[in-house]
Amino acid sequence: MRAPQSLKQEFLKKWMVGLQLCESTNQNMSILERKKAIKLSADIAMASTRNGMTCWSRALVAKTSTDFGNKVLVDNILLASQSEKLKNKRTIIRRKKILRKSHRARKARGGRVVARSLAKEMVKKRTQVLKSLVPGGEFMDDVSLIEETLDYIVSLRAQVDVMRTLAKATELMNGK
Amino acid sequence: MEIPTGPGVRSSPMVPQPDETGLDSVQFGEDIQHLISVPPENASSFTALLELPPNQAVELLHSPDSTLRARTVIDTHHHKPYLQPHFNGASLSFPTNSGLIERAARFSVFAGENLNNTSNNSAETSSVPSNSSANLEKVVKSEPAEAESYLNPSQPLVSDPTTVENEAQNQRPVKRKEREKKGKGSTKKSKSSGNDNSEDAEKLPYVHVRARRGQATDSHSLAERARREKINARMKLLQELVPGCNKISGTALVLDEIINHVQSLQRQVEFLSMRLAAVNPRIDFNLDSILAAEGGSLIDSNFPSMVMPLMWPEVQVNGNRQNYQQQWQFDTVNQPVWGREEDGYNFITPENSLLSYDSSANSATLHSNPLKMEL
Repeated sequence: MRAPQSLKQEFLKKWMVGLQLCESTNQNMSILERKKAIKLSADIAMASTRNGMTCWSRALVAKTSTDFGNKVLVDNILLASQSEKLKNKRTIIRRKKILRKSHRARKARGGRVVARSLAKEMVKKRTQVLKSLVPGGEFMDDVSLIEETLDYIVSLRAQVDVMRTLAKATELMNGK
Repeated sequence: MEIPTGPGVRSSPMVPQPDETGLDSVQFGEDIQHLISVPPENASSFTALLELPPNQAVELLHSPDSTLRARTVIDTHHHKPYLQPHFNGASLSFPTNSGLIERAARFSVFAGENLNNTSNNSAETSSVPSNSSANLEKVVKSEPAEAESYLNPSQPLVSDPTTVENEAQNQRPVKRKEREKKGKGSTKKSKSSGNDNSEDAEKLPYVHVRARRGQATDSHSLAERARREKINARMKLLQELVPGCNKISGTALVLDEIINHVQSLQRQVEFLSMRLAAVNPRIDFNLDSILAAEGGSLIDSNFPSMVMPLMWPEVQVNGNRQNYQQQWQFDTVNQPVWGREEDGYNFITPENSLLSYDSSANSATLHSNPLKMEL
């Protein structure tokens, strides 16, 4: 894991690039649009700092590019280096999804263990929640889920820090 | 070196209760008595001769190991005369000179060995049980065998001890191991030493398997166990990373904390992007000017990022909070409250700033929370 400072710097750089791209594509945005653009660019910048090494970053890019229908924007932001790589990974993820689905179906047919302790059930429930929180978590097994969560938390913290400082700075500039 | 005299004889079917005699020394006396009671049938003159050795033997059994060796030789020698009681009338005088007796015993033994090499095989097969038990038991076992030996003097008994001794020297380490493995009081069936060695070789690879008692050892269970250990290690790491997780035990609770933390961070991102959108009419932040204004502190600023996790009892409100956040920010972005807040507190979580705007009392309590956490 890299030092948080270099991570923050890289994130900030990429974020700024993304923001400029957003600005160039659409000049007059409402506050909601602006917010969406900022968040999108921040997410993608955060994901791209990982260079597609982690599952969650790939899944995040895949999700943002499909969900919001702003594939062009994502591609533009990622255009610099990692776009192709991340796209390739995306196809892999899809294949994984199919595989996992079939696996699940087989398991259901096979029948389940009837007696299961309450604690196990609780842990399972929470693991499901965590999987829904971490991007791409549905396709991970337990071990990689925890690893990815670790990485994701570190990145999120860096993102939050940078965003907060930027917000503060701009507010200071605007306010005074 | 101990001289286990008996084993050669024990292969013969005439051995009287070999296991019981081998078990403990208390029984030994009785056994000796029992054995002693037998000889008179053969020769009535034996009783006088036997009167002494059993007592000696009993007392020898309780003596330490070093003396035991020499004494066992004496014992064997004591019994030997009984084999040919008619030829050796002076057997009673033997105990007086122990050194002489020992030498004589050795001599006779060696002579016997030369004579009977054929008995080696039988001695080899039966040598393990008598030697694998403790030293005390060795003597005890050798004793009845010896006593047995003069019941049927036709057998070449005297030769056995040394051949067995040689073997015992070779096989000692193996037997030590066996002794450690098996229980103390366990009486072993007579196995050949070759079998024992192969058994050892078979047992060796299982030492490395980390299965505790009662755990399954097939590959699937082992893999599952390794996976669980891996997960636990990662969970420990996560626990260290997520604030407030150190004291919690239990996977479910730790997962709860992790979920809360991730959620809080995600909401922070959401909120901050909203805030930035509200602050700036344009999306393009002028980074240079900001950096200039901040004096480079933008990157270096090290916020305590631990502020959040206690703040999420009101998670449920979040859905509609976003709605009124927008209006609220629209209205209040330019109000002096913002600036005051920013200057006053180093770390401002969304909830803090939000709630402090609503009610100052609420904000005070909320601000105290992160401070507590810092401690």
